[in-house]
Formats: sequence, structure tokens, C-alpha cells
Amino acid sequence: MPHAPAKRQKREEYKNSLHTDEQNAALPKKKFYRQRAHANPFSDHSLAYPRSPADMDWATLYPAYAVEGESQQASEAVEESTPADDEVQRKIKAISKNIEVADIGCGFGGLLFALAPKFPDTLILGMEIRTSVTEYVQEKTRALRAQNASTNGYQNVSCIRANTMKFLPNFFHKSQLSRIFLCFPDPHFKQRKHKARIVSYTLNSEYAYVLRPGGIVYTITDVQDLHEWMKEHFEKHPSFERVEKVFEEGEGEGGAGMDECVRVMRTETEEGKKVERNKGLKFVACFRRVEDPAWP
Amino acid sequence: MAFPYQCLVARSETSPDSHSWILVGASGSKLVTQSSNGATSVWPQEESNVMDDHNDEQEPPGKRIKLSPPKEQKANFSSLVLSSDGKHLVGVTGEDKCIRVFQVGSGSCLQQLSERCMSRRPSSITLTDDDTTILCADKFGDVYALPLLPSPDEERPATPVVAEPAEEKVEGKEFTPSATVLTVHSGRNRKTLEEQLKKKAKGLLKTKEAITFKHDLLLGHVSMLTDLAYVRMHGRGYIITADRDEHIRISRGPPQAHIIEGFCFGHQEFISRLCLTKSGFLISGGGDAQLRVWDFLKFKLLATFPIRDTALAYLKARPELSPLGEDEANFKVAVSGIWAVRSSSDDVNEVLVACEGIPALFVFNLEPSSSGTCIPLQGNPLDVAFVQLSQGSWTAIVAIDNIHKPCSTTETRDDKDAPRLQHFSRPIPTGSQWHEDTSLREVLGSFAKEGSKLGVEGADAGATETSSPKSAGDKALRDILYNVENLRKRPGAED
Ligand SMILES: C[S@@+](CC[C@H](N)C(=O)[O-])C[C@H]1O[C@@H](n2cnc3c(N)ncnc32)[C@H](O)[C@@H]1O
Repeated sequence: MPHAPAKRQKREEYKNSLHTDEQNAALPKKKFYRQRAHANPFSDHSLAYPRSPADMDWATLYPAYAVEGESQQASEAVEESTPADDEVQRKIKAISKNIEVADIGCGFGGLLFALAPKFPDTLILGMEIRTSVTEYVQEKTRALRAQNASTNGYQNVSCIRANTMKFLPNFFHKSQLSRIFLCFPDPHFKQRKHKARIVSYTLNSEYAYVLRPGGIVYTITDVQDLHEWMKEHFEKHPSFERVEKVFEEGEGEGGAGMDECVRVMRTETEEGKKVERNKGLKFVACFRRVEDPAWP
Repeated sequence: MAFPYQCLVARSETSPDSHSWILVGASGSKLVTQSSNGATSVWPQEESNVMDDHNDEQEPPGKRIKLSPPKEQKANFSSLVLSSDGKHLVGVTGEDKCIRVFQVGSGSCLQQLSERCMSRRPSSITLTDDDTTILCADKFGDVYALPLLPSPDEERPATPVVAEPAEEKVEGKEFTPSATVLTVHSGRNRKTLEEQLKKKAKGLLKTKEAITFKHDLLLGHVSMLTDLAYVRMHGRGYIITADRDEHIRISRGPPQAHIIEGFCFGHQEFISRLCLTKSGFLISGGGDAQLRVWDFLKFKLLATFPIRDTALAYLKARPELSPLGEDEANFKVAVSGIWAVRSSSDDVNEVLVACEGIPALFVFNLEPSSSGTCIPLQGNPLDVAFVQLSQGSWTAIVAIDNIHKPCSTTETRDDKDAPRLQHFSRPIPTGSQWHEDTSLREVLGSFAKEGSKLGVEGADAGATETSSPKSAGDKALRDILYNVENLRKRPGAED
């Protein structure tokens, strides 16, 4: 959807103004970052993505965790064609910790900013396909970090633009993550668009690949059909089992025993809030990554 | 003039006192078979050209026998695979997305046992090492397993599926609208839902014809799959898949194909071909300047082969062929074939490589590593198959594009007598140069002439000798032979 020139100009002026010093800690305004709701996960977006997880520049995203002099494990042997200073570059890019939590299709990042203070020692990454939505989350991260400089708050959260349906394994090693969030995914109602859904039997193999055994995939949606779909596709995948009911719902009025992240996910995502306001239903389903069986 | 062989496969069998082989080529929509005993046959059979049919007593095990030739069959073959026991041939015809299984009879006659049309166009097929299962990778990114010989009781009943497209595995559900009234929707989603409800009321929700044969979804990429391989190493089966988004994925073989073991990362352009050598090295190529050699069990890059520079050097040495001009810096290759050289010795890790629209094969060796040599050809290579003529002596049979000019994928050639096959062998299996070997020329005399006739049923793509080079028929014909460079991404697409 081409923006009217006036609108585009306004946006640019606004974004530039955010970067002047005195504005440094101002939170960005969502209205300047809205974007058409659906991005096509099949098309060749001009996306930037690392050639492999070892090639990812994490230090720029998590500067407080940057490490010099310690190299990340390179994904491939150095070949003749790659210059020797590739090694050096990788050292600069390394961070002292691995990302452990991914919010896939994070939207405007409500969940990220709620999780970050709750898990201050865990690196959390939002992944979002829409450019300006990603930009919004990045600006907000910058502002929150500046506002919380004294406590080093929000240094553990960041966001990148990515088409996770194609490139998830480019970002994470096998068994790297402990939690993946799939909150209010686009429902893609049309039958012929079902392969565009972010959950499917075949994509679940990729979630299983980046998750460690015992790790959890969290799903929540207000669309019952999509809920059934996600349940079905995870339940038939041998790498996953549904968690216990108390994990998703807790017990009694206060929901005792409910997983901390489920609690946050139910209330803190933008979509979740919208559903709340409209008094709609929310369907939660979480799945645990089981150990791989022995080879046959 | 006959359409070139776009696919070639061969199998050789050696016993202490004899060497036999069979060669199958696909020329447009036709299959031509030749065996070492000299017999040639064509599928589908032409009425005027009745073959000796002395293998009636060999009833195939499958029940879904359709005697060849079936009704008008005009789709062109895009891949061929011979089972390791040589008893079956699997072919894919592109336009109708069909997987066809043939019994290879004595006298090299082909009899079609089954045709199974997939809902997405297969891009690559292979067989598991026990010859029981066809693995089919499609343009939509999925890999399905199909029994080579469908057993009748495994067939699913052909009940119409309501509102589920054929590729969906969830079947038989009564259609219910996709959301409840309580749910929040964007304007667009609400519209879709309303339309669904309206259509339901009118009974209009149409569905594709459901697939009724057994086909199990094993794994999938959200990308176009370009090649797949099955290999058994140290008793474990692996499925290796390559896609247009630079991924090489290593999965376990069935029944654990849902487990991803890892990825071989490094390509920066599309991958188009995978090749496994006898000793288990994986070689991959596509739109990049280099081929990559992998220890795929460790996901580790072992070496690269400079295919672009080797091809460029070859073209520069033959200015009469190449339209290179000033554009050397922008010169790119698209790898259209990688073939592990067959040899009687185990330690040969040599491959022949073809690049789309370049009239040569490039030879690379892993150990001792070589920087690449060339086998010049009289036309663009389309496929390669190896046959063993005698103990220790393997010949490479190369299918040549006899329609287009060498170095061009669009211009038709002026000479009408260009060869459709060339043959190469080496005096010593390792280390020596490949040279043209004419000893097979006579044996393959009729094989070299058979196939779809251009301008008659003309590759069934409608190209005729008289049509202008820019005709639609020529384009269809070109698409059968040259479809690799098309995989290159064009940046600046939708954002
Ligand atoms: C309905 S929104 C939900 C946003 C957020 N999770 C929430 O609950 O508020 C779904 C988001 O997923 C993003 N998305 C869709 N496909 C994606 C893909 N393949 N990779 C990354 N993000 C994707 C969309 O751009 C959109 O922002």
C-alpha cells in the first residue's frame, strides 16, 4: 500500500526527530509505524538474514552483552574465498549469552517489554516480518534502555525483522531456545492460504529443531478454528506433547500454578488487550518439546 | 529432427562373466529404452510400431495396472529414477504433476504400472535405498513418501472431501466457519469470514479433487524445493533437501523424517542440485560461484570448487562461442547438473558438472583436489548417465541439446545434424583425461534417433522447425530444458 507522499514525509520527519539528543528517551508513537496487516511469507522480500547463526551480529542488538576476544563457534570451516579477517569479525559480533526466548510475529512488542523485566538475565528476541512495526519495537527498546540506564533495564530485549517461516534456522542453533511464543498469529482464513499459517506440521519440525528438549511453544489466539488447527498440528507432531492443564490455566480464582509466561501472554500482548476490551475469548495451548527418540 | 533427451538414467550389472546395462532417456513426452543386448523400445508404443511383447507372463505385482500406452499422454518428463534392482523406473511428468511407475521388462520394454498425480508439481524425486518408497519433493516445499508399488488395501476411499483442498491432511470434517462471533477481526478477516458464510449458504465452497492414493507428508520447507537425496550412512537413513532460499536441510529418513538433524549453511544464492559421492561426500551447487563439498553428518564445509571461474575460463578460450563481451564481471552460472563419476574403484570422488547453457562438462576432484578441467561439448549438456561396458570401464553418456545453439538457451541452431548424445571415457579410471569415445555410437545408433519428433508431436510443446525462434512453442520447449537460472531471486520484489 503506497503511502501518500505527505504521510510518508510526516513519518520521516517524525522518525528523524526521535533521534535528536533531547528526544532520546521519548517512546515512539505507534501511529507513525502502522502497516498493512498481512505480509506474504512466501515472497522474496528484500530481507537481510544471516548466512548461519554464527554469522549473526548479535552484539549490535544486545550491546550490554557484547564480548570481545571470545569467538562464537563458526558454522563452517574457513574457505579459501573468505578473507582471514572473517574470524576477527565474528569475535566482535559475539555475545556472552545465547538468546533463549523468541517471540515470533511479535507485532508492536507488548509481550517483549512485559517479559524483559520479569526475566532480567534471559535474552529475549522479537521477530517480525513487517518493517515499520519492527522499527517501532526497536525505537521503543532504545527509549526504554535510555530511560532505565541506571538499572541496565531492557538490555536483554531486542527485535529484528525476519521471515521466521523461511529463516528461523539461520538465527538459532539446534536446541538453543527454551521458549517460543506464537501469540495471536494471523489466522489466514482462506483454505488456500493455510500453508501461510505460522503453525503447520512441517514448520513444527523447525520449532522442534531450535528448541531444547523440555522447551515450550506457547500459543494463544482468539480464533477458535486456528486454535484447533494449532492443537492438531502440534499434537500430531511426535516432537511435541501438550503441557498439563494447570500450566495453561492454573487452579482456582487466582489461577495458582499457572506458568508465569502464560499469565503474561494472556494479558500483555497488544492483540490480547484488544480481545480483552471486546470481551472476546482467548484460547491458550502450550506444547513441550520431548527428547528425540533413538535412531531406528 | 527429434527432441533432445532432457533426462537420462542408466544402470549396469556385472557378474563374473557378463556386463549388462540398460539406458533410459526421456525425449519430450516419450521414453526410449535400450539395453546391452541391443533391444530398443519406445514408450508409449505407437500403433504402427508394435514391439515384440514376449513378457506377458511377467505380471507386475501391483494391482493398478494400466496397460501402456494409456490414452493420449502429452506431458513431458522432468525426472527419471531407476530402482537399484533395475526392475522399476519412476518418471515424473511435469505438466500433469504425475508420478509414473513403470516395470522394466525383459527386452527393455516399459510397462506403466501406475500414475499418481500430485496436487503440487514435483520438482525432484528419489527412492529409498530399499526401493520400496518414492520420496517426492515439490515446488511448494513439501516432501511426500509414496509406496513404489501401491497395495490395493492402502488406497484411501475416494470420498469427496468437504472444503478441504487436496493437499490438506485433515480430512472429512464438516465445514464450519473459521471463527466465532466473539472473536476480534480485522476488516479483511471479517470480510473473508462473511464470504465463507455466504458461499456455504449457497453450497459454493469448491474443493480440489482429493488425492485417493497413499501419500504421507514427511517434511516441508517454506520455500521451493529444488532437489532431494536419500542416503544411508552407518546404518542410518537421511533425507537431504535443498531449496531456493539457500538451505540444505538434513533430516532423518522415515519413520523419523520429522526430526531435523541440521543444516549445511553457506550458500548465498539458490541451490539447484545435490550430489552424493560413493564415499558419502555431499556436493551442492546452484547460483553461487562455487560448488560446496560437505561432511553433511557434521554439517561442515570441506572444500569449494570454483565453478564460475572454471566456466568463465572455458568460455574465454572459445570466443567464437560465447557472447561474453564486456560483461565478464556480471557473468554468473546456474548449475544444472552434478553427477558423481562412476568407477570401479572406491576412492574416486570425482564429479561432472553442467551449467545451464554452457556447452561443456566441468570435472572436479575431491581427492586429490583439482581446480577443474573441461570436457568441451558440441551443444549444451542436459543430462549424464554412466554405463559400464566392460570390467573397470565406465562410459559417460551425455545428452546434448541439438535444438539450441551452443551457449544459448534461446536461439535455435542452423545445423540440423547436431548430435543428441556424446560419449566419453578414460583409459585409466583415475587421474587420466576424459576423451570422446565412439565405441558406443554404433550400439546406441537407434537410441540416438528415437524420441519425440519436433514439429510432428513436437516435444508436445508445439515447437516446429518452421516456427520463428520467438514463438510460444519455443518458449515452452525452452522451459522444459532450461529452468535453473529462473530460480535466481530478483531483488526489490514486494516489501
Ligand atoms: C496479529 S499479529 C500479533 C502480534 C503480537 N504477537 C500480539 O499478539 O499482539 C501477527 C504478527 O505476525 C507477523 N508475522 C506474520 N508472518 C510472519 C513471519 N513469517 N515472520 C515474522 N512475523 C510474521 C505479522 O506481521 C504480525 O505483526
